[in-house]
Amino acid sequence: MANENQVTFPVDEPVDFVIVGSGSAGGIIAKELSTNGFKVVVLEQGPYRRATDFTHDELSVENLGELTGGDHRVNQQTFRQDANEVAEVRATQPAFYAQTVGGSSVHFTANFWRLRELDFKERSMLGSISGTNFADWPISYADLEPYYAKVDWDIGVSGAPGPNDSFRSRPFPMPPIAIKSSGVLMERGASKLGWNAQVEPLAILSKPHNSRPACINCGFCMGFGCEVGAKSSTLAAMIPLAQASGNCEIRAECAVFRVASNDQGRVDEVFYYDPDGNERSQQARAVILSANGAETPRLLLNSASDAHPDGLANASGFVGRNLMWNSHSNARALFEHPLNDFKGVQVTRIVHDFYETDTARGFYGGGGFDGRPFSAAVPIKYADSGGAPDQPRWGTEYKANLEHNFTRSMSIFCGATSLAQDRNNVTIDPTHKDRWGRPSLRITYKDHDDDMAIAKFLQDRAVELLDAAGAEKYWRIPIEYQSRGAHLLGTCRMGNDPQTSVVDKNHRSHDVPNLFLCDGSSFVTSGRGQPTMTIMALAFRAAEHIGTAARNNEI
Amino acid sequence: MISKELTRRFFLQGSGTVAGGALLRAGVPAFIALSQSACSARDAGAAFETLSVGEGRELEAIGARILPTTDTPGAREAGAIWFIDKAYGSVYADSLAADRVLLADFQSGIAAAYPGAEYFSDLDEADQDAYLTSHQHTEFFNNIRFMTLAGVFGIATWGGNRNDIGWKLVGMDGPPHAWTPPFGYYDAEFMEAQKDGE
Repeated sequence: MANENQVTFPVDEPVDFVIVGSGSAGGIIAKELSTNGFKVVVLEQGPYRRATDFTHDELSVENLGELTGGDHRVNQQTFRQDANEVAEVRATQPAFYAQTVGGSSVHFTANFWRLRELDFKERSMLGSISGTNFADWPISYADLEPYYAKVDWDIGVSGAPGPNDSFRSRPFPMPPIAIKSSGVLMERGASKLGWNAQVEPLAILSKPHNSRPACINCGFCMGFGCEVGAKSSTLAAMIPLAQASGNCEIRAECAVFRVASNDQGRVDEVFYYDPDGNERSQQARAVILSANGAETPRLLLNSASDAHPDGLANASGFVGRNLMWNSHSNARALFEHPLNDFKGVQVTRIVHDFYETDTARGFYGGGGFDGRPFSAAVPIKYADSGGAPDQPRWGTEYKANLEHNFTRSMSIFCGATSLAQDRNNVTIDPTHKDRWGRPSLRITYKDHDDDMAIAKFLQDRAVELLDAAGAEKYWRIPIEYQSRGAHLLGTCRMGNDPQTSVVDKNHRSHDVPNLFLCDGSSFVTSGRGQPTMTIMALAFRAAEHIGTAARNNEI
Repeated sequence: MISKELTRRFFLQGSGTVAGGALLRAGVPAFIALSQSACSARDAGAAFETLSVGEGRELEAIGARILPTTDTPGAREAGAIWFIDKAYGSVYADSLAADRVLLADFQSGIAAAYPGAEYFSDLDEADQDAYLTSHQHTEFFNNIRFMTLAGVFGIATWGGNRNDIGWKLVGMDGPPHAWTPPFGYYDAEFMEAQKDGE
């Protein structure tokens, strides 16, 4: 275990903060508060893995859910497209996230886009969209920019400014990762079309930084943990600093099932199952939920009480609503020569020329796309589903195609907006339980027509680029309504109006003064994809406000 | 039972379908009889931990047509069957009973279609391909196809991908998986152009 030397706190004496979740937000808030002298207990439902525990075992990671709490056989979530349906357990978990210290920052691909100014005020720019909860954020890009810069330097981001970027107050702390063949082809195609293929910012170190090593280009980034700690997860960049403060205890394999509130309307105790399955609780002066955009609303709903009959912090009824996954599309291609794109990071170049909403298109939305190997970095998946749809699925010709095409494959992956809607939400399943016995996550989701339209629009551009780049063959992955998402956004949105939001602009619950929520659930709009950078920036900002309030006895 | 095919295709878009019915049948006499047969996959001194000898022979024969031996090694040489044996005894143990039923169903048409033959592994390669073609959209075929591919291309600690045969087959250099650029043709060309000042 990695926590043998850490401080331990008694459960029956209140610590300053209990933080639920150690991922992109929780890990940062834990580091910031503990290094500022606050006593912090972090409850993380996943195990405490070290970098040396991470492998290239594709079957375990991709198919058996080694980092995501197991596959559907043990980690049951349910899904339905419409509220009139009975949600069912499917072979693919609808809410896809890691269960491990460091959370999904451990297994994410490390694409690291900032939002742009327009993302925070698009409702004001474009007007309302009927049937949606499209709204402005209560903060601006300028409010968040200093914390984006802090993420760049404290977490570790490689990159270079692009022509479509918003302003930055500090330069990138290190140069970009070396361009790959997919990046060269992105530049080639974009140039012919008059577009810009710009450097992809990555939460992966191109050179040693903050006592961590540079990337070794192993290629197992997407879905895997980094065995050298070059991926800038909170596990690598924040948790060690939090523990070294002597003020932070990480309790791994502790699954929270209820946050209790007292007669004064304040939360004071967090109940969880310990690694042996025993019920425990930790007293706290304040509680911060950073469990992700699916788990945070589930915990609030599972914490319903007489005082909070619809769930904790849910007087607005907005807990769990407005789930946004970002819309996605994909096009794939084969080139004449080997790209060997299984080597190195997934993405080195992106196109952001279609980021803004263009009302002339007739629908809301914008996005970006990147060049990457996608499944051509993981051979089981590639052999199973990476080939062209007109090719045989087995036999001599199939094998010959695999031998020839694996190294010559490339994908363009498009990420775009999704609109906030009441019908897309996280609720509690009335029947199913997870492996701890907690009522399961129930995801209800159907993409908005505009989300489907922008996904199609970007896929058309991706195909144009592949053709311009000289692909010998390319094809589209059919765009269908999504049934799983890794971007878990919007389910406890921030806002100034307690009637239409769950937390204020500093992440404090409108209803419970010593309860804070900070993770993807805080988003008001979806951005265009790759939300982790913004989750981390929000976390640094939230930690600063929470720490100041605590010092001023204002919690 | 939920179709494993969906799990194996989880990065593809779309929800797919939920298949069922495999657990509704029971009784696998042909399968049991197979266990009395010799198995070509059996290493000297080695034995399957989960599969019978006959089961191993059939599943290996199917795998050898999914990823055949040509001028390069295939599923047989990669030892995919040893992965399958290990997986059915561990992580896919809950699928074993159902897949045994599906195998029996798969085998049930062989004798009628090919007089004198009883098992898939009895057939010559042309007949095996023809028979597999007629079953290539079944749950059983998809299950064994995935198991075979996982056995060829997964890490060797699972029992397959012997001598990194699977990875070498697709041009993926074996462990330790640490490289320096240039990685491919186009970035090498790009770097060369940069060097030449283009």
